[in-house]
Amino acid sequence: MSGQTGERVIFAILGVPMLICMLIFSWILSLLLTGIGSVRWELLTVSALQGGMFEMIVGTIYLLLGATAIAGPVGILAAIYLVEYAPSRGLTRIIDQAINNLAGVPSIVIGLFGYTFFCRHLRLGVSLTAGWLTLALMMLPIVIRGSEEALRMVPASFKEAALALGATRWKAISSTTLPAAAPGVVTSVILGIARVAGETAAILFTSCVLITRGLPRSPLEPVMALSYNLFVKIVALGTPAQKVFGVALVLFMIVTSLSLSAILLRIHYRKGQPWLMIR
Amino acid sequence: MNLESFLKSLHKLFMRLKSQPVEFILFFCASFSIVILLLMFLFVVKEGSLAFVRLGVQLIFGQRWETNSDLYGGFPLVYGSLMVVSGALVISVPLGICTSIFIAEVLPFQLRDPVKSIIELLASIPSVIYGFIGATFLAPLMASIFELHSGATALTASLILAIMVLPTIVGVSGETISAVPRDYKEAALALGASKWQIIRNVVLPLSKSGMLASVMLGFGRAIGETVAVLMVAGNVAMVPTPPWNYLAPVYPVTAVIAMQMGEAAVGSLEYSALFGLGSILFIITFVVNTIADVIVRRGPVTRGVQL
Repeated sequence: MSGQTGERVIFAILGVPMLICMLIFSWILSLLLTGIGSVRWELLTVSALQGGMFEMIVGTIYLLLGATAIAGPVGILAAIYLVEYAPSRGLTRIIDQAINNLAGVPSIVIGLFGYTFFCRHLRLGVSLTAGWLTLALMMLPIVIRGSEEALRMVPASFKEAALALGATRWKAISSTTLPAAAPGVVTSVILGIARVAGETAAILFTSCVLITRGLPRSPLEPVMALSYNLFVKIVALGTPAQKVFGVALVLFMIVTSLSLSAILLRIHYRKGQPWLMIR
Repeated sequence: MNLESFLKSLHKLFMRLKSQPVEFILFFCASFSIVILLLMFLFVVKEGSLAFVRLGVQLIFGQRWETNSDLYGGFPLVYGSLMVVSGALVISVPLGICTSIFIAEVLPFQLRDPVKSIIELLASIPSVIYGFIGATFLAPLMASIFELHSGATALTASLILAIMVLPTIVGVSGETISAVPRDYKEAALALGASKWQIIRNVVLPLSKSGMLASVMLGFGRAIGETVAVLMVAGNVAMVPTPPWNYLAPVYPVTAVIAMQMGEAAVGSLEYSALFGLGSILFIITFVVNTIADVIVRRGPVTRGVQL
């Protein structure tokens, strides 16, 4: 009997850290929510020149769309190769290792690389394009890892049935495995977007400026972004918190709703597809 | 794997790619990561080469970092980084490991997904938001608790960083704990082991290596974190007196790079010194991640666990 009480005590002690994690999250949430009242929502559509945040929001969306257009296809195709084709164990291991290492590179180093390689070596300058490429590098490992997992969960029998009917390898994969894995692949792309939506260090030197006249007219122009704006206003200009609360809150809501939808999508489709329940 | 068999497999791969255009495109995409890593290393180190040649070990061990007098001794910065990161790990490792054990082994099944989702959301909050919260709420709080002029200190940075690496540690060690085969636990249960005995004698020994890997990954995350740390660390390029004084401001390596890149003239010694620090950071995280990868691959139950 005393052994049982002892165990309860141990479990209670183990539970405290988890509660602390939950408390931290609710603390952050409550801090941000206290600011909700002071935010003037009409500023969402007002130009930055008049103190609004229209260009920052659209700029952030531009950055995300471009980065997704690069990292999405490349990442998904890479995942297909790793899961379905990759012949030699040795080479696949090296690629795997490289993806893990790329995921671990600090964003500031990615920013340094983006600056010397994209902005200066490729002569793109501080521009939207340089930002797309830099952010795509950060998204890539997330998309590859997530898509790989989704593809691996589809039973081989799907593809084998198509192969037995005489389909080529690519035809079999693209018409059976890929559609079955689609929800998981989409989830991984959304998670990738969420990861870079608030990224600051990587676009610090590569694509952002504090203020522009209107939206960028070409991909070679610099762009405004929510994260960069928040960062510079607090660090360099020392703007009081109330004035940047709106920017912080909008950024938080964009990122959180992206990751929340990815999480819900994942939970939902795992329920909907019986062959995925094994995991 | 020996070189000969590697070259043979490379040759086989090449022959296959030649005959199959689809496979060639896919292979190209997959090898992209390797190409990018190589380019990254080459370009960042190349820009830092001037500093490596002119400053040598001074870049890491030099005592004074003063841009105005063209002195680039990185020791105070490296020390600041290590201080902040070790502070963060001291807080987050015990918290994270206990949380992951609790979620995987004790928490009722229905609650696992919601709690995991909340922790995942915690991970997705951008660092600039953490920095904002740290600068506007935590720093004033620290200032009033410890009666300081400014709450931007190494301790504040450690606290914010601890929150930021917590999800990494919980996530990775949680993965390895759930990778422990059920049969093992059931066997122990059949022998009459209690829940805690199973955790201590079956789960923990098997997932130890995964936990170690999670700590290493947390370290890599923490040492590379820039924006949040910069906003709360106080940014004074001096080793605190006394050196263990966590209530003094520090200037971590990443923060210096982010703050001074904008002003550094391209090609100057300052510019090169910043890239030099960047390359050191790149190498450290590369090594730490590789070790974590190897630990996970070699671990008893962790084969196939994704980092």
